[in-house]
Amino acid sequence: MPAEPRPARAPERVRRLLDVGPYLVAHPGTRLADAARLFGIPEDQLLQDLEILFMTGLPPYGPGDLIEVDIQDGRVWVRMADHFRRPLRLTRAEALALFLRGTALAATPGLREASALTSALGKLREGLGPETLGALAERIEAAGAGREVEVLDALRDAVRDRERLEIEYHAASTGETTVRRIDPEEVFQAMGNWYVVAWDHRSDAERLFRADRVRRVARTGERFEPRGLVGAGRALYTPSEHDVRVRLLLRPGARWVAEYYATEEEIPRADGAVEVVLPTGRLDRLARLLLRLGSEAEVLDPPELRERVRELAERTLARYRRGRAG
Amino acid sequence: MHPVERLLNLVALLLETRRPLPFDEIREALREGYGQEDFQSAKRMFERDKDVLRDLGIPIETAPTDPFEVEQGYVIPRERYYLPEIAFTPEELSALIVAARSAAGDPFAEEAVRKLLAGSEGGLAGFSVGPFAIDPGDGARLGALAEAAASGRSVRFRYRTARGEDAERHVDPYGLLWRGGHWYLVGRDRGRGEVRAFRLSRIASAVEDAGEGSPPPQGFRAADHVQGGPWGLGEPARHAVVALSPDVAWWAAAGVPGAERVRTRRDGWVEVRVPLTSPDQLAPWVLQFGPDARVLRPASLREEVVRQLEAVVAG
Repeated sequence: MPAEPRPARAPERVRRLLDVGPYLVAHPGTRLADAARLFGIPEDQLLQDLEILFMTGLPPYGPGDLIEVDIQDGRVWVRMADHFRRPLRLTRAEALALFLRGTALAATPGLREASALTSALGKLREGLGPETLGALAERIEAAGAGREVEVLDALRDAVRDRERLEIEYHAASTGETTVRRIDPEEVFQAMGNWYVVAWDHRSDAERLFRADRVRRVARTGERFEPRGLVGAGRALYTPSEHDVRVRLLLRPGARWVAEYYATEEEIPRADGAVEVVLPTGRLDRLARLLLRLGSEAEVLDPPELRERVRELAERTLARYRRGRAG
Repeated sequence: MHPVERLLNLVALLLETRRPLPFDEIREALREGYGQEDFQSAKRMFERDKDVLRDLGIPIETAPTDPFEVEQGYVIPRERYYLPEIAFTPEELSALIVAARSAAGDPFAEEAVRKLLAGSEGGLAGFSVGPFAIDPGDGARLGALAEAAASGRSVRFRYRTARGEDAERHVDPYGLLWRGGHWYLVGRDRGRGEVRAFRLSRIASAVEDAGEGSPPPQGFRAADHVQGGPWGLGEPARHAVVALSPDVAWWAAAGVPGAERVRTRRDGWVEVRVPLTSPDQLAPWVLQFGPDARVLRPASLREEVVRQLEAVVAG
């Protein structure tokens, strides 16, 4: 969420000067705007930080102890005293955090950064060594996380460029395939699946789309103004006042449903089962889930849903009774 | 004097010095910072600054300044301060930036990358990546468990299994595994005397340090201990062939590791070969597609699907 940046406190400003200083020394003539973006610092604050950096120095203020900062035409040159020419070591917490995130992403199928990430982690592992990473590098594994999504790059680029897209989308819950125009605001991964949160012009409402169900993406060349939609961390189902409140009994083999879906009113039973309420916009979307759960789940209410599941089972059974057709 | 300036000068001084400096000398050298008349308040300010810098990860060491250890001095050992030189290509750094920023709310990963940026072999001005995020969901306890796994410590926490059983566990962490959008801790469950896997999202308490751990056995692989859904891991002995309708075929098989398209029939249905572990595990996968999927073989799987469907119809 783009909040108003609060003025940074002294320790935070010291930290970022020790980061950005060595970068500017190593890359003379960097554009101020690029450095600000790269380090995530508002440009005016970076300018103020550099002014302070210019003031620092040790007695007797010999030439080797001084820091020079030149800013011309939006570009910056920093000549640092030797002691600030190189960045600070990564703390263990920082190294572990980056290593964990990087390893997870490097195993994500179809991610365009995967190979660069793998080589970067290799350098990091060698450069930092066990004194920083401990035994973690040997103890962390990642395996085929998530589905490969062919349209992922197109969605990410549209989010970056704020470009409206036309997509062909298949809703697994209803079996419908539709073409719609969306303003994609964030691409995110949750529970191993990729999603895009967008303003959907077809329903004129905020919608969450599973990226692997987006069959086709076409650019429109139109730009949009983001509405501040929230992606990662949101509930994967947005309740509405038209929702039907479905009451289910989940036996141990189906308890994962309560972790995966936004269920309410969990009432544990003595035999290890749990009774939950699952709000849903359409009963169809639940019928297929219930078919999958089989005897591990039971519909307590509404009876109409039981009927839908039975009807779905009959239609599915027909596939096996009609011989080899379809 | 601006506090940022005072803090930076202190870092510079302690990095430059070849011997531990007692506070008197620091005060002398940085008169603008610690030169106020009241010695005690100057000392207090120095103590606060020292804590601030240590919190930033700056290794300020304390050492005696004389053989009799009467007086303590301060120094920043250079070899502990400076990041070793690691050269990265702009592509590698862009990838690291994407990784760090994907973890919304993980300031550590982002700070790590900012420190590495200076090592870029070339400007990153042109860098522009389509961003994305990873749901932090079960990441809350990741840091503590990574720390334990990295340093060979044992941990204690409360855990609720997928089936809803709740108990305290004492575990020697052997490894961390990312699979299917979840982090798992795999380690020796001391109470049960065997290797178990724990999904982080099911850890129901804070993770507490529980003393020295034990190292994993030779050749240990965390992935061998986490069930990977109906298709499991390793080489499945058998395969099933399932026909999928045109509506679902283009995405349904993408989530199954090892799935292969056999052929597309004239009616548009696609026959897919998927690894089969056991019929009662693969049947739910087939059933979720309803009439959009039909098992062709083996007969055991087809019979299991039909049996479950008939049970539903019979109510």
